[in-house]
Amino acid sequence: MNPFPKADELTRRQFVSNAARAYLGVHLFPMLGGTLASAAPATAAKGGTAKSVIYLYMSGGMSHLDTFDPKPKNKSVMGKTEAIPTKVDGVMLGNHLPKTAEVMDNVCVINSMNSTQGAHEQGAYTMHTSYALRGTIAHPSLGAWVVKQGGRIHPELPGFVAIDSSPEHVGGGFFGAKYSAALIGSPDEGLQDSKRPDAVSPEDFDRRLSLADRMNSQFHNRYPNADVKAYEELYREAIALMKSKDLSAFDLSRESAATRGLYGSGRFAQGCLLARRLVENGVRFVEVQLGGWDTHVDNFTAVAGRCKEFDQAYAALITDLAKSGKLKDTLVVVATEFGRSPEIKAEHKDGRDHHPQAFSCLLAGGGIKGGVKHGLTDSSGGKVKEGLVSVQDFNATIAYALALPYDNIVMSPTKRPFKIADKGVPVASLFG
Amino acid sequence: MNHQIALIILAVLAPFTGSFAQTPKPHADLKLIKKAALRIDQHIASFYRNKNLAVPKVADDAIFLRRAFLVSVGRIPTAEEALAFLEIEDPAKRETLVDYLLKSQGYSSHMSNWTFDLLRLTDNRTGSPAGNAPYRHWVRTAMRNNMPWNEFTRRLVASSGDGWDPNTAAVGYYTRDRGMPLDNLSNTMRVFLGTRMECAQCHDDPYGTTERHDFYQLAAFTHGQTTVGQHHMESLWQELRDGDRSQSDEYRVAQVLWDRVYGMSLSGGGTGRIPLPSDYQYRDATPGEVVGARTPFGQTVRMSEKRVESDGRVKLAEWITSKTRDQFPAVIANRMWKRVMGRGVYEPVDEFIPVEKTTYPDLVSYLGTLMVELDYDLRAFQHVLLLTRTFQFGANPNPSSIEGGDDFHGRKIERLSSEQIWDSLITLAAGDPDKQPARPLDSRIYVGNKPVLVGKKDMAQLSKEVLALKSENELRSYFSKFVKEVRSSDSGSESRGSMMAMTSDRPYNKDAKVRASELPSPAPRDHLLYLFGASDREVVDAFSREPNVGQVLSLMNGFVQRELVNKPSAHLYKSLEGATTDKEKIRRLYIAVLNRLPSGEEMSWMLDEVQKQGDAGYRNIVSALVMSSEFLFLQ
Repeated sequence: MNPFPKADELTRRQFVSNAARAYLGVHLFPMLGGTLASAAPATAAKGGTAKSVIYLYMSGGMSHLDTFDPKPKNKSVMGKTEAIPTKVDGVMLGNHLPKTAEVMDNVCVINSMNSTQGAHEQGAYTMHTSYALRGTIAHPSLGAWVVKQGGRIHPELPGFVAIDSSPEHVGGGFFGAKYSAALIGSPDEGLQDSKRPDAVSPEDFDRRLSLADRMNSQFHNRYPNADVKAYEELYREAIALMKSKDLSAFDLSRESAATRGLYGSGRFAQGCLLARRLVENGVRFVEVQLGGWDTHVDNFTAVAGRCKEFDQAYAALITDLAKSGKLKDTLVVVATEFGRSPEIKAEHKDGRDHHPQAFSCLLAGGGIKGGVKHGLTDSSGGKVKEGLVSVQDFNATIAYALALPYDNIVMSPTKRPFKIADKGVPVASLFG
Repeated sequence: MNHQIALIILAVLAPFTGSFAQTPKPHADLKLIKKAALRIDQHIASFYRNKNLAVPKVADDAIFLRRAFLVSVGRIPTAEEALAFLEIEDPAKRETLVDYLLKSQGYSSHMSNWTFDLLRLTDNRTGSPAGNAPYRHWVRTAMRNNMPWNEFTRRLVASSGDGWDPNTAAVGYYTRDRGMPLDNLSNTMRVFLGTRMECAQCHDDPYGTTERHDFYQLAAFTHGQTTVGQHHMESLWQELRDGDRSQSDEYRVAQVLWDRVYGMSLSGGGTGRIPLPSDYQYRDATPGEVVGARTPFGQTVRMSEKRVESDGRVKLAEWITSKTRDQFPAVIANRMWKRVMGRGVYEPVDEFIPVEKTTYPDLVSYLGTLMVELDYDLRAFQHVLLLTRTFQFGANPNPSSIEGGDDFHGRKIERLSSEQIWDSLITLAAGDPDKQPARPLDSRIYVGNKPVLVGKKDMAQLSKEVLALKSENELRSYFSKFVKEVRSSDSGSESRGSMMAMTSDRPYNKDAKVRASELPSPAPRDHLLYLFGASDREVVDAFSREPNVGQVLSLMNGFVQRELVNKPSAHLYKSLEGATTDKEKIRRLYIAVLNRLPSGEEMSWMLDEVQKQGDAGYRNIVSALVMSSEFLFLQ
């Protein structure tokens, strides 16, 4: 029995190819990307059809009652929020999501999410890694797992990109730096600093790198340390990226005014558009964060504001992907660390507190059946009544949509076993 | 050259004479500090004896210099500072350097970054016009004045009153978390006592001993937080908020009072009683049942559930700082150890371990005792650590062999923090950043986005006047007068005086080349600080040292190139003035960037570069040095 996970084999092959390219300037395996993508799912017999993931993270804890799990019959928990019908019979949304209502035929709502973590740091960590936050180990983020197990699609573009995210939630953990997300601060500016400065000639640019390389190998020889090595490797990666003809994937200005308008002008909207471009160009996993959901104070005003940012962008993303036929290759996830309490706190200007016992997440594309509601909460939205989906089950479902082996064990450098979704089991019934 | 060096040395040494003229506090006495440093080294030495291990070698001057600067003031030395230290021949020069660093402005800047991360101190609050400016200023000032840690803790936890009064601005500690007092309390326990209780907010902790009931008993101490007299304004606020008046001047002026005066004040000193939540799930009590305050460990402090008191926060602060046995000093001592030595004696530093259960009980126990002996003077405590031989151990590239703690086998190689990288880069780009004034407190009154009554009235005065109002009538009459005041000053053109006041009041914008501690917090997403992993300051210590490809791109093509390598006026190129030979220039660039001399091999690479590329060769050298791992990592 081979104790090494298959994914490692792929990574090594890829590394050889990258190294060859870096040193010899040639593509040894022109079809490498495609080979990787189709080779990966060998151990998973069944699954979805997704190749890439767009993971929209609602940071702070999105109120499920005011968005995807309204309780029109129970006014006492709804406050100012009203329920509106959608394109799908039996699926109702909060009234601040009119455009999303129009695309619900493509979307599966999971109303029965349940988390054991009620604080932001722990909640967001578990959502991203499937494991509880510990002081002694850094677990890889979901995007890092997907790239590790599925490989990259495009050989030069980063496999994992995070737009507006908190750096500590999109790290490579014990997989190391090369699995960390490339961070995008401002979608409009794309990948910062990816062009050689005008003031520097190509020759000088190369000379700088070669000098730095000599300095670095000297330092690395003196201090053979994993973090030091990680930076050395990143230089190679960065240069391949700079030279890639597909760097334009990061350039939003290449989208028509009409398309940009479809998504809206907000930061999150432009992030969604960038995510679509990146996925189209072979980035495996893109996370876009929308913050500000921690609505302890004045929940109804705050939720209205957040939905305004979310609604048009999300609807546009689904519409756009569906129109181009990319929705079957792309799993679009909407996730958050927990929901918000049915109880409305008058002393905090009608605020809602954290509520991990029940909340909602969305899945669309990648073989997921649209127009479906999974799971049920009680009449107040406080507890899961049917079809409980744990955070780990949810992440296993994401792996399943990608046809990745969710039960594959990878050993950490400390020789402990880990899986992409811990003990999670996919909700296979969501797939068509 | 010799003459020049002598002058530089004088400049470096100048501050000492002045500082020693003051009578030192008993614990700041250098003799005591050195004695304590020796005690620590003895503990470490006995550890080596017991384990039969060879003691690591002490790092050379160049490594010590860079390490001491980065650890104590958070930046690399300027070329002048580096030369002065490296060329002086004095057996006591390491001690002298440490003293110089701890007395410099840079010390409190670097401490402030650490505190801001710990307290999650952002400039603004999401979704609220109330800000944290005066609170930030309070913390920044406390660090500058080296406020003892127990006093600092007490004043945060027991705070009450006017958010703009410099004496009570610590209320920001609570008002920052308005609406989430339970999260605030969990963080208090974690930050000051190394006790993790966030699980118990919702359920009994399956791993620990804390029950949800305990958590609520503790929360009772801080329950009942409210504002100072905001109810006087309630009906006026409702009137202005409804209908078309929400676009009026009155509304905008009212917003200042409602959000930035009342919203930033804190009263209700802690009732000592709290109802259990509606989803309370255990048999020992029922949801909604009122419980009295009770501390979970240490010397028990209680408050009755039958009376509404107003000193719960004061009692909690006293308990944390003086009734938790050795826990309070031990936690801060270990945090400081991590700050100076790179790793905590045990980790994570925010999970307290009782002394006898640690790997090095003698050392841990001594550090806690020392913290108390030094009256929680964090600068003096760090001074002790910086003078130890343990701090001077050579670098060790291997991770600690002891899981969850330091194995004392030399300094662990670690990437610099985002703030250390930024502060070092601006030192190269613009010279000693500690000569720049600290960020001022912007206490102007903003109506909409516009400052009004500049030079006539500021937020502190406004807040004092408004919070003194005793009734709705007083409030209404004050309000209409204030609206008139704002209107009349608005119609007149801004006077010269007020324009000047504006410039000096203005906080630095994100592109300013000043210390990270003075820049907007958190760092904007397109800032180098964010890219290198600065905390967003939403959760405790959320910084990251994870490498990513963007960082490397930024070094190759971004800020570093624009502001440093390709900019002839960058401060670092000043060090080349007066140098006549290529060799001398290369030496000086090495001193400025890596604070050491080049090896023979390096000199030949670099000479070759200059001979082939001429002036561009120097830029290429600077670029390579800044892009090197040696620049990014602490040895």
